[in-house]
Amino acid sequence: MIFYILWNYLVGYVKIRVDGLSLEKFINLTVGKGIRLWGINRESYTSLTANMGMRDFHQLHSISHKIRCRIRIEEKRGLPFVMHRYRHRKMLVVGMIAFLVILYGFSCFIWSVDVQGVKKMDPQKIWTELDSLGVRPGVYKKNIDTMSVENSLIVTIPELSWASLEIKGSRAILRVREATQPPDFVDKETPSDIIASRDGIIQSMIVLDGQAVVEDGQTVRKGQLLVTGIIDHPDSTGIRYVHSMGQIKARTWYEDTAELSLKQPYRQRTGRSAQMKYIGWNRLKVPYHKEEIPFGDYDVEVREDGILITETYYEVKKIHWEQDRELAKEKLKEQLEEKIREKIPQGAKVIDKKFKYDMIEGEKLTALVYIEALEDIGQQRIIETQ
Amino acid sequence: MRRKRLEDAKSAVSEMLDLPREIMLNLPRITMIGNNQMIVENHKGVIEYTPERIRVNSSIGVIRIQGKDMKLKNIAADDIMITGGMKGIEFI
Repeated sequence: MIFYILWNYLVGYVKIRVDGLSLEKFINLTVGKGIRLWGINRESYTSLTANMGMRDFHQLHSISHKIRCRIRIEEKRGLPFVMHRYRHRKMLVVGMIAFLVILYGFSCFIWSVDVQGVKKMDPQKIWTELDSLGVRPGVYKKNIDTMSVENSLIVTIPELSWASLEIKGSRAILRVREATQPPDFVDKETPSDIIASRDGIIQSMIVLDGQAVVEDGQTVRKGQLLVTGIIDHPDSTGIRYVHSMGQIKARTWYEDTAELSLKQPYRQRTGRSAQMKYIGWNRLKVPYHKEEIPFGDYDVEVREDGILITETYYEVKKIHWEQDRELAKEKLKEQLEEKIREKIPQGAKVIDKKFKYDMIEGEKLTALVYIEALEDIGQQRIIETQ
Repeated sequence: MRRKRLEDAKSAVSEMLDLPREIMLNLPRITMIGNNQMIVENHKGVIEYTPERIRVNSSIGVIRIQGKDMKLKNIAADDIMITGGMKGIEFI
């Protein structure tokens, strides 16, 4: 049925009104000529409406003559009539063709490259490798041989165990799986010492091999020898070299400072935002998504993703720290904690944390943080033996 | 008498060979869906068409359909589709 409707629309049809006395005769004669009628509706004894193909209409002439009825076209429907209406608008056609050509042309190129599945390794390495293999935005899609790109990626980047390049429309998606690297080989033959990697107070020592030269509770400096691999025991003959092994837990300290200017108001985001989206390059921008910006004061964040530009407007509230010292302290504490988190190594356990604030009236607020942590400060140092 | 015998033979052959009877015997094929759609194939023209009564000619005589708000949805050389509320069908 839908096929019929579509076909009728494509070839064009007319809705006719027939006025006369013997309308059944009209139907029979029309059908007899091989013309299909549909949607016949008898509106009164002397009139009916029906649909028929556009091309068959001229054949009705003889019928209307024969049975003395009047046939009028009520409506013309379908594509041929629409086209007829626009026949003088050549640029419309040119525009349509141009649109299709541009659409097709643009879909022949890669517009964005996406790498998924990178966990530990530097993704930049994959990017540069992809770039040198010719997978980058702007290249012709057909020129990319996904198989060979996958193969050479795995060969040139040893960190990868599997790679799959998929071209989806104008996007190139690379999925990778990193190889599990073998653990660092511990060479137990090479004699070594253990030295301190930083200052601290020894909390506990578990020495598996070698001889401890420091004690629990002793303060050590960075680079100080903790466990020696040169064993000169009076019972044994001569000097023995061993590969020192052990866990040296020590208490260590970290400190950092941060400051907050009290003169400038702080611009805090309220959480409300609006977005404007554009297509284009730096100057030529065509907006395609607009939102009202009902904020009096806002920050703008511009993100460019190829030719797609997104401007995000964040509503901000000015906070004068002078009026709200507690909030200023809290803010500074937050900043400081974030700053010091980067300094503390991963294995360390924070035992104690102290903040100290200092206010310079009307100028700035400074804060100092002390962190006491427990961590393994042992570091291998190879003994040079002749 | 002779004609009757020919008809009988045709009927027997079509039954034996599983041929569609309506083609062999030139009968109208009437299909109804509920009481609101009816398709008459192999018809011989419309005799009367009003929303309340439709009469269709066929090889076995006139088929009269009574109903309400009936329309001829589609009509071509060998089939008619009638839609609307049908109340009765008679063969006269």
